[in-house]
Amino acid sequence: MAAATSTGSFTREEIENLTELEDIQTAYDQLCSDEKEVTEQLDSLLDQQPTLEGKMSTLHRMGPNLQLLQQDSEQLASMISFTCQLAENVSSKVRQLDLAKSRVQAAIQRADDILDLKFCTDGVQTALQSGNYEQAAAHIHRYLSLDEKVLKQSIPDAKEGSGIEHSLELLHKAEQELKVIINKEFDEAVANKDATAVDRFFKIFPLIGLRDEGLKKFTAYLCSQIANTSEQNLQIAIGTTSTERRANVVYADTLTHLFEGIARLVETHQPLVETYYGPGRMLTLMTELQKECDRQARRVVDAFIKNRAYQKKAQQVQQCMMGRTGTEKPDPKELDTLLAEVTLINSRAELYLRFFRRRVTADFEVQYQEEDRRKDKLSELDRLVRTCGLSLCVQELTGDYILMEEYFLREMIMKAVSMDIMEDGSLTSSMVDDIFFILKKCIKRAMSSSNVDLVCAMLNHATTILEQDFCEVLYGRLRQGFPSGFLDFTQAVNLMQSTIQQRKITSDSTEDTKTAFLATLNNAEACSENILLLKASLEDECSRHFPQAGEQGKAKLDSCLSDLASLSHRFKNMLQEGLAELDSSAIKPQVKPWVATFHSFSHNISEEEFTNYEANDPFIENFVVNLQSLLDSFKGSLSPTIYDQLISHLTNQVTHQLERAVMKTVFNRLGGLQFDKELRALVGYLTSVTQWTIRDKFARLTQMATILNMERVGEILDYWGPNSGPLTWRLTPAEVRQVLALRVDFRSEDINRLKL
Amino acid sequence: MEDYKFLFKIVLIGNAGVGKTCLVRRFTQGLFPPGQGATIGVDFMIKTVDVDGDKVKLQIWDTAGQERFRSITQSYYRSAHALILVYDVTSRESFDCLPEWLKEIEQYANQQVITVLVGNKIDLTSQREVPPETGLQFAQANNMAFLEASAKEAENVETVFMDLARELTKNARKYLLRNTETVDPNITEITGETTNISYGGCCGSG
Repeated sequence: MAAATSTGSFTREEIENLTELEDIQTAYDQLCSDEKEVTEQLDSLLDQQPTLEGKMSTLHRMGPNLQLLQQDSEQLASMISFTCQLAENVSSKVRQLDLAKSRVQAAIQRADDILDLKFCTDGVQTALQSGNYEQAAAHIHRYLSLDEKVLKQSIPDAKEGSGIEHSLELLHKAEQELKVIINKEFDEAVANKDATAVDRFFKIFPLIGLRDEGLKKFTAYLCSQIANTSEQNLQIAIGTTSTERRANVVYADTLTHLFEGIARLVETHQPLVETYYGPGRMLTLMTELQKECDRQARRVVDAFIKNRAYQKKAQQVQQCMMGRTGTEKPDPKELDTLLAEVTLINSRAELYLRFFRRRVTADFEVQYQEEDRRKDKLSELDRLVRTCGLSLCVQELTGDYILMEEYFLREMIMKAVSMDIMEDGSLTSSMVDDIFFILKKCIKRAMSSSNVDLVCAMLNHATTILEQDFCEVLYGRLRQGFPSGFLDFTQAVNLMQSTIQQRKITSDSTEDTKTAFLATLNNAEACSENILLLKASLEDECSRHFPQAGEQGKAKLDSCLSDLASLSHRFKNMLQEGLAELDSSAIKPQVKPWVATFHSFSHNISEEEFTNYEANDPFIENFVVNLQSLLDSFKGSLSPTIYDQLISHLTNQVTHQLERAVMKTVFNRLGGLQFDKELRALVGYLTSVTQWTIRDKFARLTQMATILNMERVGEILDYWGPNSGPLTWRLTPAEVRQVLALRVDFRSEDINRLKL
Repeated sequence: MEDYKFLFKIVLIGNAGVGKTCLVRRFTQGLFPPGQGATIGVDFMIKTVDVDGDKVKLQIWDTAGQERFRSITQSYYRSAHALILVYDVTSRESFDCLPEWLKEIEQYANQQVITVLVGNKIDLTSQREVPPETGLQFAQANNMAFLEASAKEAENVETVFMDLARELTKNARKYLLRNTETVDPNITEITGETTNISYGGCCGSG
């Protein structure tokens, strides 16, 4: 029974076996619901019947249509294959026609060729006889464009054929004849220096299949022209007297003429070559011309080296730089003109090689469409330019140039140092302006060579000379020290004793040493600024001289320039060291005794004394006057910036010393007030003499004054810790207690009780 | 401004044709360009490497070996932090010239410069003319580090440059440390991220 109820549907047997009413009831209910379900299913199936019937009838109607369709498509297929066949037939006829036509054309062509051949044969003879070589060459050119073999094959008839053979033979002979004539005529034209005839025969070479030979002969002709002109120019150059206007640069001028001559030849003949020989010939042409250019340039440069004693001077310079004595010192003035000529040679060569490169590159653009091939060709060109004899000459000159320019720069800088004077009204001495003038001159001259490596080398040398030689000069002057001018008695006695032992120092020489020391500070500052100015101006020049230097070149220049600029720091550090020296030798010894007088009057005072102090100031007025006169002794001799830095040093000394003095003094309430007044006067004075804010340096002293001014010990808590507000305490709690203890009227128990 | 901690200048010197350019190309670009033409003047390459977490920028100056460029290349010695002196193990001549190069270094370079001796082209074993011991002895006698390398086979090239970078960084860190300890409190110099160590420029002579 349990199984029956759990399954939910009953078999007939199960129902008959049911005994309990309850079970029967359940079974009945179950059966009822089953029945209902079945009825629903039947209903829905019946609902679908009409739709299905509709569909069936449609299918029945479509049956005949299908048959029709099959028939139609079969018909279509047969039609298509028929059409296809038809088309096939038609087109094969067209193809046959086409073939026939092309054969006819070939036949006509060949007939034409044969006619042409005869025409050429006749024409060549007459043209050759009448000396009309262009005409003859045109005939030969036509003949060469014919396919000889095909012509011979196309005429099997022996009788006819022999005529053709004969013509061919004649033409062949005429070709050889013409080649000989053209070669001879060209050579004659060259020998006669007949430029028109040279041009005339030059144009004929490519017509008779002698492109390479023609180009070779022609370049040889151009080369001989170059050689002649150059030889003449060189003789003129060697014969130039030193008084002539451009005598100093006569070799550079000779080279310039050489380069300009070649450029002119290229300009005139490039269109000719391109028209008659086609593109892609420039590299060959230019390479050949370059060989002559190299030869001629070498001769000019050799003459330059010999007649200007270039190498001898370079050797002298080298000996001098190695520190060898006994060798003749080259005259910087002579070097100056020589160096100018070398940079001119350098820049002219650079300009010419750029022209060379540009011409060939442009030709490559036309000739080689594929990127890779062009790149290969370009690197070939690059190598050619870099390793050509002209480049070699220039590189050799450059090597010695750098040596001499470095020597020149060093000599001139050392000369400026040795002739250094202080001019009235100037803070710096004369050498600073002189040196930067020389630096600028030398580097600009180097730049005018248009050679990046040369400029970089000179920038490096300039940096070395400034950093090693010139810095040493300035440091040497600083090491002399600053003699103290305001001597008190003991110092004077000490100095007297030491000078008696060493040497007599007149007040004049002391004054001089002082001025020299201050001028050196100004010099260091000026150098630091001038270097940055120099860098900026050179950067400007660079972008003018090297617009096409490429990334490599620019990176090199940038690096060398920034090395030079980094020297600015070095001079700044020197200035700081100088100021520190000035501080310890001229400021500290002065300020110390002045501040010491702070002790000598009491700050534990009565009302009466306080009023009296107001009338007859015991300390601060005098102190300020002393400071004033100390500063006045520097003001005129230092640049405003250095003067301000000096005041900053002075302020540090004053606050440092004064703090120590205060800590050794005792105060009462009125004494604190007096100190506050004094401090205000001092801060007021120092603020008035400098552009910079010095209040911050007085923070600790001001806070001490605040503490010394208090009514009672506990008042400090109004300013301390959470009550400090915007005030930042610069005094430690221990120092605050120490300062409070300076007040005689404050009890130490109260101070100790304070929670800080 | 690029982000790097130290900048070092390394200058390669040595006879023409010993493979300086190839060593530099191999290190900076990973290439071995065959048929390399002679260097004209000075070439300039940059590679930033990592040394113990610090970015170190190496400025590599590849000089021309030919005599006529000597006065250009000499101008670069003084500001160099390191020199790589290269010879060709298949050319006794290039080895025999080393003393001349040392003379140049002594004359033009700064005192603190680090010099490394490199014997290049060890891939050409059958043509070797200078045995490794000879190179090593020469290097030891002149207080130089020594390595044999092959730019073609990329052998030891990375080691040469990276050993140098590490050594230079180590020295620069020491230098910085020493300088920050002794620096004058009155001179507060505002320096940026990067530190350009200049040997010539330490404040010693005041």
